[in-house]
Parts: sequence; C-alpha cells; structure tokens
Amino acid sequence: MNLVTVLWAMEAGAAFTLCASYGLVWFADRRNLANLMFCVLAVAVAGVACAEVGMMHAATVAEYAAWIRWVHLSLFVALIAQLLFVRIYLGTGRLWLLSTIIAARLAVLVGNLHFYPSLSWQEIHSLGHVSLLGSQVSVVGEGVLRSWQWLAPVSRLLMVVFVADAVLQLWRTPRPEARRKALVVAGGIGIPLLSAVVLGQVKLLEGVQLPPVQTPLFAATLVVMAFELSRGLFLNQRARRELEELRSEVARAGRVTALGQLASSLAHELSQPLGAILRNAEAAELHLNRPSPDLEELRAIVADIRKDDRRAGDVIDQMRALIKRRTLEMQPLPLAEVVHDVISMVHADALARHVALDCVMPPGLPPVKGDRVHLSQVLLNLIINGMDAIQSSRANTKRVVIEAQPQTHGQVEVAVTDSGPGVPPEFIGKVFDPFFTTKSGGMGMGLPISRTIIEAHGGRLWAERGRGPGLTFRFTLQQAGGGAS
Amino acid sequence: MSERGVVHVVDDDASFRTAVRRMLMAAGFEVHTFASGTELLAQASADGCGCVLADLRLPELNGLELQQELGRAGVALPFVFLTGYGDVPTAVSAMRQGAVDFLDKCAPQETLIAAIERALKRDASEREARARQERLSRRFAALTAREWEVLRHVVNGRMNKQISADLGIHERTVKLHRTAITTKVGVRSVAELTTLAREAGVLG
Repeated sequence: MNLVTVLWAMEAGAAFTLCASYGLVWFADRRNLANLMFCVLAVAVAGVACAEVGMMHAATVAEYAAWIRWVHLSLFVALIAQLLFVRIYLGTGRLWLLSTIIAARLAVLVGNLHFYPSLSWQEIHSLGHVSLLGSQVSVVGEGVLRSWQWLAPVSRLLMVVFVADAVLQLWRTPRPEARRKALVVAGGIGIPLLSAVVLGQVKLLEGVQLPPVQTPLFAATLVVMAFELSRGLFLNQRARRELEELRSEVARAGRVTALGQLASSLAHELSQPLGAILRNAEAAELHLNRPSPDLEELRAIVADIRKDDRRAGDVIDQMRALIKRRTLEMQPLPLAEVVHDVISMVHADALARHVALDCVMPPGLPPVKGDRVHLSQVLLNLIINGMDAIQSSRANTKRVVIEAQPQTHGQVEVAVTDSGPGVPPEFIGKVFDPFFTTKSGGMGMGLPISRTIIEAHGGRLWAERGRGPGLTFRFTLQQAGGGAS
Repeated sequence: MSERGVVHVVDDDASFRTAVRRMLMAAGFEVHTFASGTELLAQASADGCGCVLADLRLPELNGLELQQELGRAGVALPFVFLTGYGDVPTAVSAMRQGAVDFLDKCAPQETLIAAIERALKRDASEREARARQERLSRRFAALTAREWEVLRHVVNGRMNKQISADLGIHERTVKLHRTAITTKVGVRSVAELTTLAREAGVLG
C-alpha cells in the first residue's frame, strides 16, 4: 500500500469521525444547522477521497471513468453542503446567487452522469501516469475536451464569488467576532475553492497532467472548520457553565432571602435547645450543691444536654447549608425526612402566624433523587408562600398541607396546598414569571427559582387551584434507583 | 426542702419543659408542666395558686391568648413570658395584659427565679386581697334589700331623719335597720362600717 492510499484513506476516516461527532452535536441541539451541514460535508468529502483513490489506481480508461462519476456525485453533495454551511454559519450571502449556483451544480451533476465519460471529457483515449508522493498514480493521458466543460469551472467561480460576497458582508459589521468568523470562512472555504478552480483549469486547458486535488483541498476546509466549530462548542459550554453558576448564585440569594424571612423562626428554633441546655446545667448545679447529689438525675441531665446540643448543631448546620454556595448534588433522599426538616424550620413561624402545617406522607414512600438543600429550598419557598397567602385571608382555619404521592413512571408528586384566598385565574399562569408578586415585600423570585431547581431535577413545578379556595403547587421528582433518569 | 410556690410551665418543646421542671424543682418550687395552653386551661381551677411560666409562641393558643382565656375563666394567675426572639410590640401587649415579666428563653437562672418569685408574691398578695374581700362581702351578704338601701344612705353620710324622709319610712324603723346592719356586719361605729363597705366594694 502506498503513501497516497494511506493519506487519502486517513482523510476519509477522519472525515467520517468528524461527521459522526458533529452529527451527534447537531442531534443534541437541532436548531444548529451549521453542525448538520458540516456533518454532511464531511461524509461527502470521505466519498470524494475514496473515489479519488479509485481514480488514481484505475488500470483502464473504463475503470477511471467509472470512478469519475463517483467523484462527481460526492463532489456535488460536498459543494452544496459547503455553500449552505457558509450561508447558515455567517448568516450572510445572497440567496439568488446561492440558488443559481445550486441550479448550475445540479446541471453539472446531471451532465456528468449523463455523458460518458464526463461533462468535461468528450473522450479519454489513454491514461497517463504521474508521480505523487513517491508513487505512480493514474491521470488522464490523452483525451478530447467537451465544449460544455466551462460550465463546471464557471459554477465553481460563482461559488468563490458567493463566499467572497458573504465574507465581505460580514466583514463590514464592526464586531470583532464577526470579522474573525469572516476571516476563518474566507481562509477555510474561499481559498481552497479558488485553488480548486485554478488547478482544475490548468489541468484541463494547459494539458498539464495533475493528480486529483479535491481531497487535499477539502482536508484544509475540514480542519479549519472543525476547529472553528469546536471553538464555538467550547465557548458554548463555558457560557452554559457560567449560566449554571449564575443560576446557583441566584438560588443561593433566594435561600438567603428565605432565611432572612425565617430569622425569627430560626432564632426561636435555636433558643429551644439552648434554653433547655442552660436550664439543665443550672439544675445540675443545684443538685451538685446538695450534700448527696442524685447521680441518676445528673446522668439524665447530662444525656439531655448532649441531645439538645446536637439539636442546636443541626439547626445551625441547616442554616449553613442553605447559605453555602453550592451546585446540585444528586443523591437518594428520604422525602419525608426532608419535608420534616423543613417543617421544623418554619414551625415557630407558623405558630406565630396561627397556621397549622399538615404533613401527609404515605408510608413506604420511595426515596427520591435530588439535592437535599435545593429541595428544602423549594419546599421552604412554597410553604412560606402558602403562609403568606393565608395571612391575607380571613378564614378561620389557616392551614398549609404538604402531601406526597408516588406516581407511575418512577415519579413522586409533592403538593403544597394553602387555605388562602387563592389567585384570580388570569394570574395563575403568571405566578412563575420573574418579578411577579402579590406581596408588598416580595421580590417575585421565589417561584421562578423553585421552578428552575425542580427542572434541574428533571421534574415539573406548576400551580393549580386547590379543592378549597386556596392554591396548590405541585412538583414531580424522580424516584431514586428506579424509572427514567 | 420547703415549697417555694407552684409554677405552671407551658411549653410545646418537651425537652425544654423537662429542663425547666428539673431546675425549678431543684430550686425548691412545685412544678406542673403542660404541652399547650389548652392543656392548662382544662386543668386550671379558680382556686389554683402559683404563677404561669409560658412560651409566647405556642401551638393552638399562643401565650397572650392563654392569658386572656385564663382571665376569662376566672383564673387570675400572674404570667412570666418566655420568648426565643423578643419583639417589642408583643412584649408591650403582654405587659399591658398584666404579665409580670417578659424574659429571654436563655435568661440567667437568677433573673428567671427572681421573676417567678415576683409573680408568686403578686399571686399571694392578690390572693390575700381577694380572700379578705370575700370575707368582707360574706359579712355584708346577710343584709336584706331594705337594709342595703339604708346602708347606702348611711355610708353617704345622711342623717336618720333624711333617710326616713327619702325612703318614706318611720325614723324609728331607720334606727332599727341601722342596729341590724351593724350587728350583722359586726362593727361598732358608722365610721368603721363606711370603711369596710368601701373596702369590700359592695356599694359599687
């Protein structure tokens, strides 16, 4: 096997790989048609490379002519994909010119397939041989050109014009990013196109015997454009990461705000164990001052002090977890426990507002997949929202009910229902809009943040009118270990 | 150890309840604990004594409401309120309703016990005053309707003659009524009768 075969085969292989990877990229984001065009271009280039190898190894004129047809078929697809890529990627380029070129190339393709041996050659008498990278490859030795042969180079020239025009249009917009794109396309597509026209004409008109040149020129195009697209992918990914960070920062701000609202509730929650510790310590002191201290009692006191200390620590841990900057950490969570923890955080607040918090968790509820802190934040938000809504109602029974139900398809649905006055139907769709709020002190970010969090968990969060007058917020979560990911 | 008085502790937190009970019992108080205001209301009786040590934030009835309800039920126990997070408006209304003190949940032992003792002292003196008043009004309870009328005039400093004219009865009858009144109430002079009647508050 000679070097030419190896190189051409390598290019075909590389082109197939690029086609596969950018095909996948396009599949992930199907709006990005530039990736699809690049994918089509790559597979067509692989076809060109294979057909060129066939031409170079042809022993007879008939064999050579058969491979020419395959080159032309692949070339048609490659050139059209290239043009569409330019149009899509740069967003410039004249459409009438583009359609003209496509029509011309279609005519060239039909001509090439219809006439034997091709549109350019009326007859090929014999094959010649030239040296390429140390091996002898077949080229057209003697033949007669068809008078129609100008159609192919002219259409190619039109392509050069189209690309140049598109590049210039973009160059005129004074954005550095646009100019960079224009330059890359000019170098990666414009110059190889122009070179192909020049070399092709030299070959045909001057009678210089040149080996096939499409493959190396397309190699340049593929390399430059793959680099360019991957740069876009990289930047995209960075933007996505930045968005992710921003989102988690906003979520954190939401948590800090919620904590601020809960300050008095949390202080109360902390003062219980701290007060108990103090009283126990004082009791112990009084016992110790006696002539014969009751050791049993002292032991019980110390055990209780320990227990309350852990309780106070838990409250602080919870607060710290809410304030800390963090990303999603998915793990299997016992939902009932998460709900219980959140209820204990808002418990004192609910007492002060005369709101009863009811928690309905069916036994045997499967664990869900989620991030403890973020889910707590959503629950906290929905419960506080519910209590705020009730605040403005005159109803006697002030109640927020938290229910969970396992669903089909490996999901669990959680509902938070308040007995408040509800929301007029025209507002139900708006409650998730950022900055939409009905509270005087509200920022209107709680629900949008909650929805983002639930969606990041692969679930949905929505509002509906409850069975009573109030509003019900429902969200779904995936069960851990089971069901779809 | 002698009992220093009865303290009714109301707190929904079992752990805190136990701790307070331990400390107060060790300090010599008799302690009854209740998980909610309703629980205390169900068990309280008008002749109960002592004071209430309650958290302001309680399920069902909060501390202030418990105080009102007890008052309505005729159980006038003085209150010491505890709070984890004292806010001024609540403190003000608690004091206005007659709370003896308003303390932080983590207030030092001395402060807490001093407040409890103040509350107990107030309970004792109020109880004393109430008992005395009751004894007095019992002494006045035997008077007939006519004697009440005469008493009202006497206390207002009117002469027998004026009273007989006002009530349209004989002056001697007035005198008889006066003797009956002083005998029944057990006083010797009109001055004493007037003072007692005022003290007992029987004349409105």
